[in-house]
Amino acid sequence: MNDITPSRYKWVGTRPIRPDGVPKVTGRAMYGADLAMAGALYGKVIRSPHAHARIRSINASKALALPGVRAVVTAADFPDHKFEYVGPERVAQNFWHITRNIMAREKALYEGHPVAAVAAASKSLAEEAAALIEIDYEVLPHVIDVDEAMAPDAPLLFEDMITRGIEPAPIRPSNISKKLEFQIGDLEAGFAEADIVVEKEFKTAAVHQAYIEPHACAARVEADGQAEIWTATQGHFGVRAMTAKLLGMSIGDVRVTPSEIGGGFGGKIPVYLEPIAAALSKKSGRAVKMVMSRDEVFKATGPTSGASMWVKIGAKKDGTITAADGVFKFQAGAFPGSPVMNACLCAFAPYNIPNARTVGYDVVSNRPKASAYRAPGSPISAFAVESTLDIVAQKIGIDPLQLRLKNAARPGTTMIYGPKMAHRGYVETLEALINHPAYQAPLGPNQGRGVASGYWFNGGGESSATVQVNEDGTVTITTGSVDIGGSRASMALMAAETLGIDYSQVRSFVADTASVGFTNPTGGSRVTFATGTAIVEASRKIVDELRKRAAVIWDVDVDGVLWEDGHAKPAGANVGDFAPLSLKEIAAKKALTGGPITAAASVNAGGQAPGFTTQFCDVEVDPETGKVTVLRYVAAQDVGKAIHPSYVEGQIQGGVAQGIGWALNEEYIYDKNGRLDNPGFLDYRVPVAPDIPMIEAVLVEVPNPAHPYGAKGVGEVNICPPMAAIANAIDHAIGRRLTELPMSPPRIRAALDAVAAD
Amino acid sequence: MPGTTARVVLSSGFSRRYTSGTREFDIAASSLRGVIKALDQLYPGLAEHLEKETTVAIDGELHEIGYLQPLRQGSEVFFIPKLEGG
Repeated sequence: MNDITPSRYKWVGTRPIRPDGVPKVTGRAMYGADLAMAGALYGKVIRSPHAHARIRSINASKALALPGVRAVVTAADFPDHKFEYVGPERVAQNFWHITRNIMAREKALYEGHPVAAVAAASKSLAEEAAALIEIDYEVLPHVIDVDEAMAPDAPLLFEDMITRGIEPAPIRPSNISKKLEFQIGDLEAGFAEADIVVEKEFKTAAVHQAYIEPHACAARVEADGQAEIWTATQGHFGVRAMTAKLLGMSIGDVRVTPSEIGGGFGGKIPVYLEPIAAALSKKSGRAVKMVMSRDEVFKATGPTSGASMWVKIGAKKDGTITAADGVFKFQAGAFPGSPVMNACLCAFAPYNIPNARTVGYDVVSNRPKASAYRAPGSPISAFAVESTLDIVAQKIGIDPLQLRLKNAARPGTTMIYGPKMAHRGYVETLEALINHPAYQAPLGPNQGRGVASGYWFNGGGESSATVQVNEDGTVTITTGSVDIGGSRASMALMAAETLGIDYSQVRSFVADTASVGFTNPTGGSRVTFATGTAIVEASRKIVDELRKRAAVIWDVDVDGVLWEDGHAKPAGANVGDFAPLSLKEIAAKKALTGGPITAAASVNAGGQAPGFTTQFCDVEVDPETGKVTVLRYVAAQDVGKAIHPSYVEGQIQGGVAQGIGWALNEEYIYDKNGRLDNPGFLDYRVPVAPDIPMIEAVLVEVPNPAHPYGAKGVGEVNICPPMAAIANAIDHAIGRRLTELPMSPPRIRAALDAVAAD
Repeated sequence: MPGTTARVVLSSGFSRRYTSGTREFDIAASSLRGVIKALDQLYPGLAEHLEKETTVAIDGELHEIGYLQPLRQGSEVFFIPKLEGG
């Protein structure tokens, strides 16, 4: 546990028990699949067994003839959309693609692609009906690997896809959806200055967010067109907008209530089941509940991209990096939209490199559409860049932390996309590890130590909150942010701090789309920053109102009332005239002084500071089996101000744990027919407790001036370094650089054999 | 405030698509609204693209596009593609 800097705050920076803890540990919390509705039908998706196939026909007559079957939907039940990219490039949405991902039209583009769905009176009946739906496929050649998908003779997913971002535009279609490029300085001159140049190719596997709770939802569409949806999502306002658009409804007719959520990590931002459940409900006139199996989660929801990359870095003998170049080819899955732009922007972001370029390719292949996963894109490019930097450090003979410190980005450093960095934080994470006692601890045989850093933008944007003072002096707060990482507690802490009352007096809730203002999804490490800003703003309005009410009670001007320690106190000429009034006392007189005491605030929060982290780990390689054991893991992260330090530490530990899985075991494995071989936790190996050491989270607090209490996003950047840190440690342990993830026992054994053969 | 001038920069891709490759502008404006308005006068229709497709870095700090965002004398305003988190 971090012994963080003594705080001037009473509640911010403390570690109270989480408000959602009791229902979770007693099994009473309501997750997506827990909603029971009288008379609800059960919906089931019929999915393509083929990686790539033309859909010739769908015949549902036998299924519909089965007693208890109430509706079947196919793509014909969803309006088609114009082919156009709407919105910004990274998140540009093309509803022509999205509606085809929800339900295949002309072709099935990956194993698990929805082709039809059925609603029936029971789960078993829905399964029986699903088996009766006859689908005639023409199986087509498929492509899985990103490099193979880019080859000129690759099977095409879209026969008319012309690569965007190349001028003049190519004449021939390909699977390359987009090329993008960022550059500063003069690469040629930069590499000419270098004493050593290192270049290397890297590959990463597609990995799933592996949230424990599968996707689940229920929908009810009334005869008048109004709809209610209950779902496990990271962003219920997004579910509302997407479902309305995909079904041709208006947003005002859709109300979405988020359930408790069993993990998301970016993978529960898109919609999958919700539009289908709503379409089935519309057609059947009954509520429809749908729950994915684990198999469906793996085959049909977004993993993050696998990638093929090349990185080149030049440096002087003193360690000064003079130039850096990188090419990042990302699997987008079956539809465009990998996080390759983020990868390009983050790749060299921790460093002051005057001459740098990143080139990215967004490439479709016969896999499920990639979805966001914790700092999407950044961990992938970090694996390549941070591994290459380790080779540079070895060649020069400089400590890897010192190499990073020498080249660290600081305020004023020009970023590859143009602006100058505005915030401190990176250097402080390096210094925290340089001074960490374990960094100099001796290592044993077959052991190695690896270092890596990470960068993530963090998010801001739109958030809403309300604060209500109850008649007994307790306070109810609501936000539009789904609580994934403990935000109900951090919101309550910030409200208690601002109001000057006890944390136990504040109850914190997540509201549905009809009960609180618009709020962007819980993602991008934005909630504590943006929604926290809204909570503080609403709480400040409450303080102003409480001062007004005290002024009414005392019959003085409001300027003669100040708010301190949860009490209205006389100020100025009134000092000594009145005894302080507590929030509870003012609340008791709410009717007499003007009615309910409530406030709402909505913000479009900007000025979020980026996240920096530096981490080191010690590993031991078993020379016989190739198993890598992580012995020690230390992660220093700039967290701004830790509102609830235990949750901040938890975020860091969680990100590192996922990174360890990504580094050592996790991967999508396809057979020769393009079918996923390991769609379950038995064969897709996420880390289990014995795989993870006690991860030491070192909280570095460089406050963010744009947040009332200095908070920065903390949820994502921690997953950026582990893959490279572990690869670097393995290299130091066995003397062989691994450049492909996962670094599983067979790959380690092969590396050891190569060492022996040298 | 009157007389405030900001240095405004578009990404190369964005400038290629919408401003015939011109990337940098000196614009007298005290808020982001003024910058967007001035650019839209130079390139009619550009405001909608800026509002829908970009986020903005003002002196290195990232912000969503908001009309009321204040600018200081000499502020550097970079319009960059929007980012997405997980």
